[in-house]
Formats: sequence, C-alpha cells, structure tokens
Amino acid sequence: MSGRFSRRRLLAGAATAAGVAAVSSACGSGADSTTLTIMGNHPSEITDSDVAGFSKKYPNVKIKFVTNSVQLLTAMFAAGDPPDIIRDQGVQNTPYLVKRDLAEDLAPYFAKSTVLTDDKIAAVDDVWRYDGSVQGKGPRYGLAKDYSQDAMLWCNLRVFEKAKVEPPDPTTPMSYEEMLDVAKRITRRKGAQYSAYGLYPPFDVSLSAGVINMVTSAGGSVFNSDYTKVDFSAPEAKSALQWYLDYADAQVGPTVARPLAAGAAAAFFADQLGMVGYGYWFGGEVASNPQVQDHVRFVTAPQFGSTRTSPCFAAVGHWIPKTSKHKQEAWNFFEWYFGEQPAIDRAKSGWGLPGITAMNADLPETKPYQKQALDVQNAEFSHMSVLKYSPYVAFTALDASLSQAFVKGLESGLSAGKLADLVNDTLNPLLEQGKELVA
Amino acid sequence: MTTAEAPAAIRLPADVQTTAPRGWKRYRARTFYAFVSPWLAGFILLTLFPLGYALWLSFTNFDGMTGHYRYVGLQNYADIFRDPDALHSLGRTALYTVITVPAAIIIGTALAVLVNRPVRGRAAFRAIFYLPAVVPIVASALCFKMLFDSDFGLLNHIFNQLHLQTIQWLADPLVFWVMIAMTLWGVGGTMIISLAGLQGIPGELIEAAKVDGANAWRAFTRISLPLLSPIILFEVITGVIASIQAFIPALLLSIQSGTVAATSVPQSNYLFMIHAYAQYFDYGRFGYASALLWALFILILVLTAVIFKVSGRAVFYESGPDEAAQAAAGHATGGKAER
Repeated sequence: MSGRFSRRRLLAGAATAAGVAAVSSACGSGADSTTLTIMGNHPSEITDSDVAGFSKKYPNVKIKFVTNSVQLLTAMFAAGDPPDIIRDQGVQNTPYLVKRDLAEDLAPYFAKSTVLTDDKIAAVDDVWRYDGSVQGKGPRYGLAKDYSQDAMLWCNLRVFEKAKVEPPDPTTPMSYEEMLDVAKRITRRKGAQYSAYGLYPPFDVSLSAGVINMVTSAGGSVFNSDYTKVDFSAPEAKSALQWYLDYADAQVGPTVARPLAAGAAAAFFADQLGMVGYGYWFGGEVASNPQVQDHVRFVTAPQFGSTRTSPCFAAVGHWIPKTSKHKQEAWNFFEWYFGEQPAIDRAKSGWGLPGITAMNADLPETKPYQKQALDVQNAEFSHMSVLKYSPYVAFTALDASLSQAFVKGLESGLSAGKLADLVNDTLNPLLEQGKELVA
Repeated sequence: MTTAEAPAAIRLPADVQTTAPRGWKRYRARTFYAFVSPWLAGFILLTLFPLGYALWLSFTNFDGMTGHYRYVGLQNYADIFRDPDALHSLGRTALYTVITVPAAIIIGTALAVLVNRPVRGRAAFRAIFYLPAVVPIVASALCFKMLFDSDFGLLNHIFNQLHLQTIQWLADPLVFWVMIAMTLWGVGGTMIISLAGLQGIPGELIEAAKVDGANAWRAFTRISLPLLSPIILFEVITGVIASIQAFIPALLLSIQSGTVAATSVPQSNYLFMIHAYAQYFDYGRFGYASALLWALFILILVLTAVIFKVSGRAVFYESGPDEAAQAAAGHATGGKAER
C-alpha cells in the first residue's frame, strides 16, 4: 500500500466525512425537531434545571441560548433571523418595541392558556401591555420573570453602628435630603480612599429610571404629553439633577464619573457601604452572603417630592418577536418558565417578587432578615407606581445621555440647568427622528 | 558548421520526456484560487461587504431596529462637524496617538537595542520584555485597575503607608495617563519588530564604522537607525492606525457596565471609537455612527498617504547590500569611507 497522500484520496475522504456528518446530523435532529433560540441569561436566570424540565415536557424542542446583547440582537434582526424569545426590561421597552412592530401580540395565546390566566398575573406585568398610546393597557407583549420596587434601600447596620448613627426606619420614607445627610454621617474616608461609603443611590438598575422616579414624585414629567419631547429644564427635573450634583459633591458614594470598581454588592457585603438602592431582589444576594444576614435591614423607598412613589425600574422578562419562526414553541416555553416549576423555584430563592401572585406565598421568610424584608415589602406594595417612557427613543439613549451629561457636569462643574440643556439637546433630535421612523 | 555536423537532437531520459505536470501542478491556476479563496471570501464578506453596508447606512437615518429608515444624503457627515462630542473625541484620539506612537517606538527600539547586546540572560530579558504583549488586554486592564483602584489599589495603599494624600487614579484627568501606561505596557510587540530589524543589520558595518572612529552612539545613529528606518516607518503607520482605532483600553478602564458603559467613560479617555460605539448601541444612531466610521476610514487613508509622502526622504530603502553598506558606512564616518 502506498503511503502517499493523494489528492484523490483526500477528496474521497472529505466527501465521505461530509456525508457521514450530514447523515448523522439528520438522524440526530429528528424530522419534527425544533430549535428554540433564546436570548437570555443562561444559566443564571434560565437555569439548567429549567431547561431540563422543559425538554422533558417537550422532547422535540431543543433550546439554544445566545448571548444577551443589543449588538447581537440588532445583527439578528438585520439578518431576518431574530431569537424566538428575548430578555428585556418591560418598564422601559414595551412601548418602544410595540411602536416598531417588533413584538408579537400575545393576547390570543393568553386567551387560550390555562397556566397564565389574568387572575394569576401580578399587576406589575401590566408594564408589558401597550395599546399604542398608554402603557398598562391593551394586549400583553411579554411577562416579567420577577420584579422589585427598585428605589428601596438595603442598609448595612454595622456601618451605622460604627458611625454611631441610627439607621432609617423601615417603613417611614426618608426624603432624599435626609438620605444624603445620613450618608454624610456614616461615610468614612481619607483622601480618595474610602473605608465606608455612605450611599449607593437607586440609579444602578437604570439611571433614567432613578431620575424619572424623582421627577414623578415631585409632580413633574420629563416628557411632554405625547412623549415626543423631553424637558429636563422643568423645575422638577432640574431639582432631580441638582440632587445628583449635590450627592456627587458630598463625596459620600460612587457616581457615574467615579464608580465603584468592585460594584455595590461587594462593598456592601464587606461592611464598606451603608445604604444601597436596590429592591427586594437583593435579598437573593444576601442569601449567598451569610456573614451579613444578621446586620442588614430592608427599608422603604426614599421620597423626593410630595408624592410617595415606589416604582419598579425594570420588570425584566421576555418577549416573542413578531418574526419568530417558532411562536408556539416559544409560548410553550413562556408557560413553563413563567407559570410552572421554574417560577416557583425563582420565588423560593428570593431573587425578586414573582410575576404570578399566588407564588408570593413561596417567598422565603425562614430567616429573620428574610422575614423583615418580606414584611417591609408587603407594606411597600401599596406605594407601587409606574414610570412612563417614550416609545420614540430607546431607554438606553436616556441612560446614556444622562450619564454622559453627568460625567461632563461633574468633571467641569456644570450647573443643573446646563446639564438639562445637554440632555435636552441630545434627546430631542432622537425623539423627533424616532417619531418619524415609527410613523 | 554543416548540417551533417549538427548534433543529433537532444534525447531526454524517458522519465523527463513525459513531464506533463502531475497532481496539484496540473491545475496551477485552479489550485491558486482554491488556496486563496478562503481569504478572498473572508475579505469580501467580512471587509468589503461591511464597508459597503456601513457606507449605505451612513446615508440613512437607520436606528438599528426599524425597517422604515430613509435616505438622508450627506446629513450625517455634516452633523459630525456640529457634534461637539465627536470633535472632542477626535482631539483626545489625536493626543493619544501623538503620545503613544512615538513613545512605543522609542521605548521599543531602546529595549530592542538593549536585548540585542551580548549580555548574560539575554533570552530571558527578551521573554520578560515581550511577555506583557502576549497577555490578553482584559487581564492587563484588570491588573491596572487593581493597581490604580482608589480604595483597594496597591498604589494608594503605598501612599497611605507613606502618609501621602490618596488619589483617584481612575477618574479624570489621571485616568488618561493610566490608559497611556497600559498601552505602553504592551511595547514588547514593537521591541520584537525592531529587534528583527536590528538583527538584519550586518555586523561588519558596525565594526567598519568603529574602525573608522565612530563611537557606539554615532554607529547607532548613522548606521543602525538609517537601516532600521523602513521598520520604523512600518511601526509608525501600523501604530497610528491602531491608536486612531483604539477602543478597548478606554472601555476596559471605565468601571461602569451595561447601558452606560461607553458614555460614562471619563472625558479624557473619550476616544473617537468610544463615541462611535455609543452612537451605535446606546443612542441607536446607526446611520450617524456609520458616517463617523467612514470619516475615520478616510482620515486614516489620508494620514497614511501623508506619512508615506513626508517619510520619503527620511526612510533609507536598501536597494542592494553593497549600496546600503557603502551609504551607511559613509554616513557613519562622516563620509570618510567615500573619500
């Protein structure tokens, strides 16, 4: 036998290999098999156990995950092959998605469902509804996997003890000024080096959500009545921007211009952060850090203006694109993930409040800190409020313009009025363009 | 010579007579295209097509998600000149380029000269100097953050021990110099290229110059440097292109993540590519961002042409070993060799 590797032999070998691969692939996939593409966080949010349970129930549906990224999503839409299920923030994005005719109207699916019926669905899921002009009305376009009232605070009592300062009352809201004053009293720093930060304000989930909440509480709105313009120069909005400048000036916590390298959670669990603006979901993090469980306190959201508001900043969940090729399979996954065992498991973990009301009973309350958090949360439900976003601009643009203006403002000492002008000048042309694009 | 005297036709051996190309050689043209086709396909799909697509987008108001965009002509290009952030980011990019490119070449060449000398442990020094260039930039950025973090960083810890005022290194304006340091940390790549150039210089040229009375500095500036000039030109051009397109160092040194990662980059590190990225993915201005990238592409082309033009007289192109040797030796001895 010749040891020479001939071209003919190479081609024959390659053809055989390709044939074998094709045949085995066809055999493996099965004729009626479907692959459901999910853009979501796996395995942190959609766990392996969730996937295994779904596969057991629907053996002919395979699940493929793609990275949760706006860049990838844009490319997939441009290619005409979007994922079948997409993770998103219902509060900020529902009007935007619906106006662009991207999201599938799920009303017919809900009408037929016995798992996800209207009486089981929490009120917060209404942020995933939009009738073309009002968010909270009209058909459903998605569901929240869980949610929180994100302007609430978690306090590290050890930081307060060290500073000999009384921690905030759990159910009586502080004003933003009082919160800043407390933060000043518990902050410990030497030059640029902090041994304890006083406050990580409730802007981390979304900077724009934090600001819009403050403006709403003060009785204003950053948008005009038809959401085609912003006006951050209005007194309520300007005073919210001014508060952020005062907070940065007080040097009691990180800002967009001087962020916390390790993140808020790490500092909080190391007893180096007194108050962090996170909602109920942070209890899931506390559960993984037993060293702080005996000195944490969950407290009600601070109040900026005359109205007490405690909104959900995100209502993270999923939606199905109109151009999905596997809508029924995607809906099957919806029912499983939002209404069955995965939803119960999520509720039990304490990582947020369930989007299905009956599962509130599964929230953890065995440990003292869990019970304290749940009691405060139960009292907070009555102050739930809804933030308003424009369908003509992506919320990322709001967050980006605010962060860019703050970075400039904090570095150059700009006034709140000047910051407002910067944000207005950035966003209004985008809103105008957005209106034209969806017309 | 008569016909009768003419030698008989040359008879080749049987195996040489039948020299029709065999195997791959029978299809030289096809083989060539088969081998270059992966590159060609990659070039068309991953370079030409995106360039053309971005050019088309740059004339539209596409927002990345809506199919109802329209042609806006040169509006996006005109907007660049009215966008203070674009001009600011261009200025920062120019400053970054003006600092990092010469510094990388000077430091890289100096290190190359050092490790080209017959010193003990030379191989180890080469490896040590080159090592940072092969460390992934994400790991480098992490190390720099750990070093410069205001609360937990080594530098502030030392400052604290010395009872000095601690400093916010990763905020404006100092974060710009941290980014410069991080970029120069990978100077080993330039060193390796310069070292290869230095090793291509015949040793006898240096020896000849020394015999003629040139000291080490004179031999370096009159022989090594002129012979290295094509290498330096290469480093200048690739360095300028890389610096103008710099994106990752600024983004990695920014601590924020999520939707505000690009727009919370400190103003001194707000490079042109960061601005383009923010326009694409934070503001959804795909048309305008594409115009920014095309403007950058044209700027790079112009800059490269200018560098080629102005470097013509400064770069010593070796037309042949003898001419190069003579010319270089003439330079080294102040023309003595020619006299």
